Amino acid sequence: MFEPVLLKNVYVPDGHLIATYEAGGGYRALEKALKEYTPHDIVELVKRSNLRGRGGAGFPTGMKWSFVPKRADKPKYLCCNADEGEPGTFKDRIIMERDPHQLIEGMAISAYAIGAEVAYVYVRGEYVLAIRRLEQAIAEAEAKGYLGARILGSDFNFVVHVHCGAGAYICGEETAMLDSLEGKRAQPRLKPPFPAVAGLYASPTVINNVETLVCVPHIVARGADWFRGIGPEKSPGPKLYCVSGHVRKPGLYELPMGIPLRELIEDHAGGPPTGRKIKAVIPGGVSAPVIPEQGLDVGMDFDSLAAVGSMLGSAGVIVVDDTTCMVRVATRIIEFFHHESCGKCTPCREGLNWVVKVLRRIEAGEGAAGDMEQLDMLCKGIFGNTFCALGDGAAMGLRASLTHFRDEFVAHIEERRCPFV
Amino acid sequence: MAKLKVDGKEIEVPDHFTLLQACEEAGAEVPRFCFHERLSVAGNCRMCLIEVKGGPPKPAASCAMGVRDLRPGPNGEAPEVFTTTPMVKKAREGVMEFLLINHPLDCPICDQGGECDLQDQAMAFGIDSSRYQENKRAVEDKYIGPLVKTVMNRCIHCTRCVRFTTEVAGIAELGLIGRGEDAEITTYLEQAMTSELQGNVVDLCPVGALTSKPFAFTARPWELNKTESIDVMDALGSAIRVDTRGREVMRIMPRVNEDINEEWISDKSRFIWDGLKTQRLDRPYVKKDGRLQPATWGEAFQAIKAAVAKTSGDKIGAIAGDLASVEEMYALKQLIAALGSESIDCRQDGAALDPSLGRASYIFNPTIAGIESADALLIIGSNPRFEASVLNARIRKRYRMGNFPIAVIGEPGELRYEYEYLGAGTETLAELVSGKGKFAATLKKAQRPMILIGQGAIAGEGGAAVLAAAAKLAGAVGAVTAEWNGFAVLHTAASRVGGLDLGFVPGANGKSAAEMVTGSDVLFLLGADEIDLAARKSGFTVYIGSHGDNGAHAADVILPGATYTEKSGTWVNTEGRVQVGNRAGFAPGDAREDWAIIRALSDVLGKKLPFDSLGELRSKLYAAHPHFAEVDAIATGNGDEIAALGQKAGEMGKSVFASPVKDFYLTNPIARASAVMAECSALARNNFKAAAE
Ligand SMILES: Cc1cc2nc3c(=O)[nH]c(=O)nc-3n(C[C@H](O)[C@H](O)[C@H](O)COP(=O)(O)O)c2cc1C
Ligand code: SF4
Ligand code: SF4
Ligand code: FES
Repeated sequence: MFEPVLLKNVYVPDGHLIATYEAGGGYRALEKALKEYTPHDIVELVKRSNLRGRGGAGFPTGMKWSFVPKRADKPKYLCCNADEGEPGTFKDRIIMERDPHQLIEGMAISAYAIGAEVAYVYVRGEYVLAIRRLEQAIAEAEAKGYLGARILGSDFNFVVHVHCGAGAYICGEETAMLDSLEGKRAQPRLKPPFPAVAGLYASPTVINNVETLVCVPHIVARGADWFRGIGPEKSPGPKLYCVSGHVRKPGLYELPMGIPLRELIEDHAGGPPTGRKIKAVIPGGVSAPVIPEQGLDVGMDFDSLAAVGSMLGSAGVIVVDDTTCMVRVATRIIEFFHHESCGKCTPCREGLNWVVKVLRRIEAGEGAAGDMEQLDMLCKGIFGNTFCALGDGAAMGLRASLTHFRDEFVAHIEERRCPFV
Repeated sequence: MAKLKVDGKEIEVPDHFTLLQACEEAGAEVPRFCFHERLSVAGNCRMCLIEVKGGPPKPAASCAMGVRDLRPGPNGEAPEVFTTTPMVKKAREGVMEFLLINHPLDCPICDQGGECDLQDQAMAFGIDSSRYQENKRAVEDKYIGPLVKTVMNRCIHCTRCVRFTTEVAGIAELGLIGRGEDAEITTYLEQAMTSELQGNVVDLCPVGALTSKPFAFTARPWELNKTESIDVMDALGSAIRVDTRGREVMRIMPRVNEDINEEWISDKSRFIWDGLKTQRLDRPYVKKDGRLQPATWGEAFQAIKAAVAKTSGDKIGAIAGDLASVEEMYALKQLIAALGSESIDCRQDGAALDPSLGRASYIFNPTIAGIESADALLIIGSNPRFEASVLNARIRKRYRMGNFPIAVIGEPGELRYEYEYLGAGTETLAELVSGKGKFAATLKKAQRPMILIGQGAIAGEGGAAVLAAAAKLAGAVGAVTAEWNGFAVLHTAASRVGGLDLGFVPGANGKSAAEMVTGSDVLFLLGADEIDLAARKSGFTVYIGSHGDNGAHAADVILPGATYTEKSGTWVNTEGRVQVGNRAGFAPGDAREDWAIIRALSDVLGKKLPFDSLGELRSKLYAAHPHFAEVDAIATGNGDEIAALGQKAGEMGKSVFASPVKDFYLTNPIARASAVMAECSALARNNFKAAAE
């Protein structure tokens, strides 16, 4: 039986208070890091752990940190990506609401590793409780000397600021987030330069997801080998899965990386409601291509999902049962991307605008011959030509729906109505 | 340098080149909308996609990738890119189709038609029909001021306009608001733009979303005759193109001149043209019974002859205005000399500039392009934003490169870059000259410091002493060396340097402009409208010029002249660069080119000038002043002259410096006749009031 690590405090009463956190061994990893390791040691440790970013792309965290120039005449920044905009994702929120000190400790160790003295947590604006709890936790940690000047008697100084987003999905894209933090309109930036070299205020910056950062204290406390021993070697560690949709026990699950998707849904989340059958699952938030029922034996890790043409993304697992119209699902998802497209680049701005209109027509029973070919053509026109991954994600997802559930689209067009109503 | 292969052709380009520039260098055409050489890279239109060998299996935006980002092949081969492969062609067609789905395709009623990047590139790189069957998006047009008209359905969101205002003009007054489909370009609250350079967004906008409001629906580009010329609205001599239909000037556009205006012009230069058509003097006038009445050329000349006959040479004088060309000043100088007078002046404002001190003492020695290599700047008595808007953009360009400390002595103003304000006038300058203050040290530390002297610093009482003090400061901080001359006099009048070069200043026994107003029996005003004539209670005044403005109102005889678009003429800009403007049309009615008027008058006065054509005039002019023949060149000032001038530094007295330009939009008679400029002026005044409240 897998023993939860990241969610350990989440079920403890008053888990968000510093006393509870300390009682459970909290902030010892920070102490250990400051007393026993150099910043370089921590970077190497995290590299050896094979920790990969939990924000979506799965980029090796230690490697990302090592891109930060050692010597720089500018301050370095750590940014925690807590925008959590991906539909179907709610893992960062639970951590921040129930165990904010775990995140603060993770940030402190990570900042020590990269040489940052200031961190920003960019929190999704709707997460009111998370914001309040984080601010409270920061105040507690400052009072106890885990934040501030000369932390725990070391010469490491570190402060954390909370910044609330204003409700745009694109702010979760790391460079758009930097622009937003700087007070500008959030739009993705050109790369290079990469944030590690010129990020926030043109200074070296590391951006990591909440879940990525909370892995760090455990790696420090228990070692890289422990971490690498959980799940697949190349994509290891404890992992948070957000299961929603047509299951009997939706919720947040902490299980090893790489657990089969079917096991996650059937054994842990209770399977579909009685009398229903699973039709499809979106494994990693709506940017991740849908997987039809036959494909559920895939392992939930970055490489296994990529191999079947999908992705782990934010591990927002959305389960769709057989009563659901896949055209409706696809339309709703594209409506989201269309609404959230930042408008910067032509293929995403104009392409999604076109796609959404065609999909709405088909769903309303007003599809026409040639619409399927047009949708195929639109996916091609968008995918690979956009400025950032938002447009690509939208096109990739739609392409999977068109491939796996083509018959449902065709039925809408031929019958001139939705067969599900 | 970096080596790469473009469509199989091997080339070498500088490391900082983008792939787009490299492709262009190799002769491969890459379509683009958002990329512009003078703006930051946005990479948003996705029109410039190309294929990179060995890269990811998707096209790359060539404007957003540098040649230095390319990886060599496995055996060190030069990296390869392709611009004509099926992948590239498909990607472009796709982007083009996307761009057009929400574009109204209202080309028949669009002023951009015929000079539209979208039209051209759709022809070259698009497919012939759209598969889009849905409804088009509608975007409301925005009011952004009297100069730029918007048709926002046409906008393709390239953000060139946003980047221009933010980066070049230095005021973030246009922006993209809203997301995705709702993204719109606007001034947010739909207030008028305030930049003096805003008209440039009309040229930058690759589609018909931003067009010239005054030009709206008046002509099609292919109906227009295009004449390359020189602007005279300030002393920069920006390169312009004057577009005419028949005799009428329909619009004015910038041309590229890297040395002067790059490709920008100010709104005054661009939108002045309605002023060419109103308030025009189109026939001679003679004052009879206390009123100016239409007359023939013969009558007008006879009236002048009678007045000249009544006085002696020393009571005759001439003042040249701010727009006068070298040729007409040369002719007038000859005539006045022939009449026995040394009273001539081209300095209406009384600026203490003296050609006998040497050319270096009155030109912008570091040159305009040289601003980019300066490493510190002191501005004395000038507001370059209003006095030379395009030059100010060059200062801002340098400022944006970083490590460019700027300080101002004079009126504090919003200059579109940060600066340190040192003080108001002579006292502050004196302190700096004596080496006191942090900025003196900054200038001293700089390798190429620049000292910009405005007319506002030298037109006042102690002007000559201020100029000398500035020269002394230049010497003290090492602004004049063998490789660098940072002594920079910024003029506001297009005629000024040419006039000084000609020696259009009083001789030993001559009177200055101000003295002539009260102390001459016969006064010739060659387009001189900026001098206060209220004190002129007696004497006979001849106005030669184009507009019924201040000078004409005070005249006894009016001889109607030509504007800069109606004559070929030489102007020397603030750098000392000789340039020739070309005639784009004819002056209205009986009006004539000014040199010809003076030549005809000289005959009547019995002092016939020795040339019958402009060509003959010029060969005499060139013989006397050879540098005028060196068009587009600068006869470099001698640094020793600055040192000599510095020696003269003495007591400056106590005064504060004020910019001569009180209203950017109304600095000359053409501008004051322009309804468009009047509207801009009123808006600017209101903004100023609103800002003060
Ligand atoms: C459109 C878009 C939205 C994103 N939203 C989020 C988000 O809400 N939270 C997040 O952690 N990462 C998000 N990302 C990924 C981030 O850009 C970035 O890769 C991540 O924060 C890096 O952290 P990691 O290395 O710890 O995964 C998004 C990316 C894109 C393209
Ligand atoms: S892909 Fe979409 S979200 Fe990303 S830059 Fe382009 S328009 Fe913006
Ligand atoms: S208005 Fe013109 S320049 Fe500005 S973004 Fe739109 S198309 Fe580009
Ligand atoms: S020109 Fe390259 S993306 Fe627009």
